[in-house]
Amino acid sequence: MSGQYTVAAGPVAREAGAVTPTMASLPETFGPAQDTQAGTADVLVVAGVPGWTAEAASAVAAGMRGIVVANPVPEDSTQLAAAAGAAGTAVVLDLRWASNPALVGDATEPDARDAVRSAAGTASLLDSVATAAQGTDPQRLLADHLASLLAVCGPLGAVRVLRSGAAGYTVGGRLPNGAPFTAQGVLTAARPAGVDIRLYTADGGVTVQVPDPDAAWPAEVRVTGPHGELLLPTLYESAHRSAWRRLKDHLRAGTSPDDLAGFARLTDLYATLAAT
Amino acid sequence: MSQHAAPADRPLGVGILGAGPVTQAIHLPALARLQNILEVRHIMDVDPAVASSVAARVGAVAGSSMDALLADPAVDIVAICSPHQFHADQVIAACRAGKKAVLCEKPFAMNAEEAARISAVSTETGVPIVVGAMHTFDPGWLAAEQNWGDLPKQVHTIRSSIVLPPNARFEDFATEIITRPAAGNPDYSDIEVIKRALQGGIMGLAIHDLPLVRRFTPDFADIEVLNVFHVRPFGYAVSLRTPTRVIELRAVMNSTWKPEWTFEAIGDDAALHIDFTPSYVQAGSAVATISRGNGSETSVFGPYGHNGYEGEWLELAGLARGTRPAPSAQTLIDDLTFALAIAEATVASAAAGHAGAAEEAGVSA
Repeated sequence: MSGQYTVAAGPVAREAGAVTPTMASLPETFGPAQDTQAGTADVLVVAGVPGWTAEAASAVAAGMRGIVVANPVPEDSTQLAAAAGAAGTAVVLDLRWASNPALVGDATEPDARDAVRSAAGTASLLDSVATAAQGTDPQRLLADHLASLLAVCGPLGAVRVLRSGAAGYTVGGRLPNGAPFTAQGVLTAARPAGVDIRLYTADGGVTVQVPDPDAAWPAEVRVTGPHGELLLPTLYESAHRSAWRRLKDHLRAGTSPDDLAGFARLTDLYATLAAT
Repeated sequence: MSQHAAPADRPLGVGILGAGPVTQAIHLPALARLQNILEVRHIMDVDPAVASSVAARVGAVAGSSMDALLADPAVDIVAICSPHQFHADQVIAACRAGKKAVLCEKPFAMNAEEAARISAVSTETGVPIVVGAMHTFDPGWLAAEQNWGDLPKQVHTIRSSIVLPPNARFEDFATEIITRPAAGNPDYSDIEVIKRALQGGIMGLAIHDLPLVRRFTPDFADIEVLNVFHVRPFGYAVSLRTPTRVIELRAVMNSTWKPEWTFEAIGDDAALHIDFTPSYVQAGSAVATISRGNGSETSVFGPYGHNGYEGEWLELAGLARGTRPAPSAQTLIDDLTFALAIAEATVASAAAGHAGAAEEAGVSA
């Protein structure tokens, strides 16, 4: 143990990132800053609402050691990335689904990204459905959805919005081998929120089912092939905790996460689609 | 004219036109489970050797003449399992032969003109026609229908997803096939080949679930194709919409062992999800789940002991005995019109190099 990092979070960020229960699951590492310490906390939680990059950049300038951005909207993070790199500030993005540890884990565990990318060479079709509650902004859902796809799928080409409306959207494009992919968003109060990704290949495929991060229910990753079907080890850790655990690792090691670099690819894609 | 109802204590006689894999692997095994009410008595195929071999399995008369089968007084119900292009004329001939009921494998016609002819003859003769859309007879679907309440009114999104191994995998679980058609090796560099594949995909595969889709699509006549992807080695990803519904059709046939056949109808407050069993095998019914309350409230129906094929034959037996009302000819025509419209628009979209004019963007991760 090398001391507890103090954490400051405003009410919006605290709610958006489920900060209190998440910190409570890492009690040796993180603890709340007292109100009088807010300006000197080690870590700041930023709500990922429009303008979050400016708020995070201010925190970098103020000397924060770490920043957690709770469910950020696509936004140009180029300047923030440069500032954080120069200051040595670890900026971790807590993404609704893409931060689930089953999608991209540490090097010691098999994850969805490895499974999908290993199978992508013989892909026939990738079909994905994201579900969210009624009232959700479809554009916000699309960003969460694309973030999860980019995390596991690798390059997405020729992406087009086929339709978008109050009930959801459909996006189509191509995988690296030329096979089509489709991503559909559905707004309903009938089903739990989550994202379902299904890659079909010449002799099987990969299915990834990711729940919302409001509980530690595990994602399920199944790899189907001539051998049968393999369920990857289930990880009872929410996307929130996984993001915070990565922050812990970077703070302890003094390394920089690459979250912003990955997020820039989402932002670029999102901006292009929004302009069409 | 339809004949009088058969004596209830004697099995009804079945005659089958076409003795290919569908007859061998689907209908004969289903009928074997219903021997107390249905008996195969006559099998016709253009290949006399195939007809003889298949008929011998069930002790039926074999032949290569449709007229002989239709003239056989032992045949009460005619099943039409021939290639698609023969369906319309054979359905009409069976009606005019005064049989008690006709089962026609889907599609029962290849255009609206044929459908109208069939409808007129069915009305004139009073012979009920059942189209082999087996999922509409699946007990899981029927149980869901009895319990879904106002779901059809509130649905905004419909999905049909079909992932299957090559047919041979399940045919071989069901029977011992003779004369299996040779597998082709299509040249997908030719757009005409792709167009034929998509046409076949809609009229041969998607058509299984299009009657279910239409059940939730009151404005089905205003269908619009938004995008078409051809999926290799065989399949499609077709995005459709009507003024009030979003419809997504997916299909992949590859070398996997794992079938996934799902139908979903999703509304604001309720959703239906059905997992169907694969064709050919007698693996029981679909399982239907109706969910509400963010998935916290679910009602599950099935699995039941028989599938939709057996359900079809139970329906036919009831029709032939006069114990069930004849299905609406307009429903059959509307189902066919809907399928033809989607197939035509899908092929046109593929030919046009994908509908939808949104700009394209690329990104790497």
